[in-house]
Amino acid sequence: MQRPLVHITVRSILAALMVVLASGLMLLVRNWVTTPTVALLYLLPVGLSTAAWGLVPGLVAALGAFVAFNYFFLPPFFTLHVLHAEDLLALVVFLVVAVTMSRLVGRAESNLARAQAREHEAVHLHELTAALAGMHDDTTILQALAEHVRATFRGNEVQVSLQAEAGGPVEVVASPSHRASPESRPTIALPILGMRGMMGEIAIWRAAGGLTSDELRLLGTFSREAALAVERVGLAEAKSRARALVQSDALKAAILSSVSHELRSPLATIKASVTSLRTALVPWESEAREQLLQAVEEETDHLNELVGNLLDMSRIEAGSLKPQRQWNDLGEILQSVLGRMRSALAQHHVVAELPADLPLVPVDWVEIEQVFRNLLSNSIKYSPPGTTVRIVAREHTPWLRVEVHNQGPAIPEMYLERIFDKFFRFTAQDQVAGTGLGLSICKGIVEAHGGRIWVENLSPGVAFKFLLPLTWEGARPREMESHEPTSSRPGD
Amino acid sequence: MNQHPHVLVIDDEPQILRALRTILGARQFRVSTASRGEEGLALAAAQPPDLVILDLTLPDIDGFEVCARLRAWTQVPIIVLSVRDDEGAKVRALDRGADDYLTKPFGIEELLARIRVGLRHAARTQGAAQVIVKAGSLEIDLSQYKVLKGGVEVKLTGTEYKLLAYLIANAGRVLTHRSLLTSVWGPADADHVEYLRVFIRQLRLKLEDNPEEPKYLRTEPGVGYRFDLDD
Repeated sequence: MQRPLVHITVRSILAALMVVLASGLMLLVRNWVTTPTVALLYLLPVGLSTAAWGLVPGLVAALGAFVAFNYFFLPPFFTLHVLHAEDLLALVVFLVVAVTMSRLVGRAESNLARAQAREHEAVHLHELTAALAGMHDDTTILQALAEHVRATFRGNEVQVSLQAEAGGPVEVVASPSHRASPESRPTIALPILGMRGMMGEIAIWRAAGGLTSDELRLLGTFSREAALAVERVGLAEAKSRARALVQSDALKAAILSSVSHELRSPLATIKASVTSLRTALVPWESEAREQLLQAVEEETDHLNELVGNLLDMSRIEAGSLKPQRQWNDLGEILQSVLGRMRSALAQHHVVAELPADLPLVPVDWVEIEQVFRNLLSNSIKYSPPGTTVRIVAREHTPWLRVEVHNQGPAIPEMYLERIFDKFFRFTAQDQVAGTGLGLSICKGIVEAHGGRIWVENLSPGVAFKFLLPLTWEGARPREMESHEPTSSRPGD
Repeated sequence: MNQHPHVLVIDDEPQILRALRTILGARQFRVSTASRGEEGLALAAAQPPDLVILDLTLPDIDGFEVCARLRAWTQVPIIVLSVRDDEGAKVRALDRGADDYLTKPFGIEELLARIRVGLRHAARTQGAAQVIVKAGSLEIDLSQYKVLKGGVEVKLTGTEYKLLAYLIANAGRVLTHRSLLTSVWGPADADHVEYLRVFIRQLRLKLEDNPEEPKYLRTEPGVGYRFDLDD
């Protein structure tokens, strides 16, 4: 209380000084102005003092002005005698002006203060909603709410608890986060209300004491905003779950229709071959027997590959395809693929152009082998026998760039991207066998390695191209020479 | 090894047991079968087999454990036969003492070849250590640290020789990257497959007739390497 008193005193002295100054000025010009004008002019220091410093300095100015007016300008001059009662009217007018103005100014000031407070609230609220808008999980929303509540209400501690789903876990977030919640009761605790009633609570501990009604209103708005954000997240999750279900249903339907056809045809061949082999119709030592047996073997391999593709696809779909990276020699991988596919590739000229100094590449051997196998079987499926299939690899820092070229028919421009989609084929199913999974598996594997795969039309032919990163956790393979064991050849 | 080697097949799939009993029986093997892990272990103890064919998924204890428990007392060759074709399972089985790994479905010729290699390796480790190993045009004299290819001596560095000697000592067995790196470079380098890639490439250039299609130094994708004595 000391301070306002000092303020008022200082300001009152200033007001008095202003009256003295005004009196001095008017004494200088007294020969040119009439007494009523002087009285009018004395309203200036009274009005200014009130406007600038408030009621008490205004009253001081009013009294001072009356005294000065009376002393200097009303006869008898230089006395405080009042000759006419009407001269007292000046005092009354001065006082009324001071009081009225102070009230007007006071109201304007409080309006301004309220407007500023509103703006403040609006800014805080805007900051909170802006922060909440981009958030996708409950924890970050609660964290943001706690931080904003603490900053806005100058709380020492804020704790927000929330149960997003009925029967679900209750999440508690505190700000500052590192501190355990205080033992004492919070200064205020406000429920967070959502569509299905109370979802949680905001608790504030603050040394400055309870909240004003404006602050309470703002806190209520904060809590509603947070409830909305949490509910929005819940709805978005529910929606994406629903969409995923619809997609996986569509995928299952596509798999079933594609796979049942693909599984049945080899099974039909196997069954037909084996049953005819059991009859006496096929002689023990004959060309026919040999052919039937070959058909059985080829079709079992085909079935096995099909099941493998389905497993790979489901792993890619489930996001559980995690490459087991090792430093590998791409040439060695390709060798192994070409070895295994020798009979399938026999109808085509396969040319591999790999530089001898190709660096090691951090990949999952089995998966990259699968990529080659799928690209090669796609190439021989679509390009006529006798044509060349070329495999080219080159270092393209920081990538290893691999290309598989074949002489197949050009792919229409609009299908260049879609060709890697599951079950996509632009030729009729009965023309070329396959599940339509091979290329999408390639895409899944290459992307799981952090690479990229695409297809380009050549003239003539088609080129599948993919990039694989040459670094693993940011590094190239370790230098060999320095790690050669020191033991020398024992025989020398 | 007697005339009719005893093969123990542990697999829970009756169709596989039936097929293997028929096929191996026709090839003059004595075959006993078990459909559970404990049963297989008991059989192995009662009539020690010359070779074990083991499935990984069994109803009671899994194949990894059967492997480890067999290895506690016997060096009998173990060939794992499984539908699991992830490298993790292969490496685990091999690290627990399996000699070889074949993924179902398999060709019977492939299985018979692996059985032959396993039996031969067992005979070798039981008898006196072989001093001179011959494979195709290669001749390796382990007492002289000498490698001949088509009668001409091949110069190998210390590490190359160490790697080759370890592979030959375990010819026919699949050796995991880890076991190769640990025994040639030491446990600290057990994860540095990149060394192995470089040295295998060098060895192939020096020893193979066609390094692009290796006959002796065979890659086991994602698992390790194997030295093949069979032509």
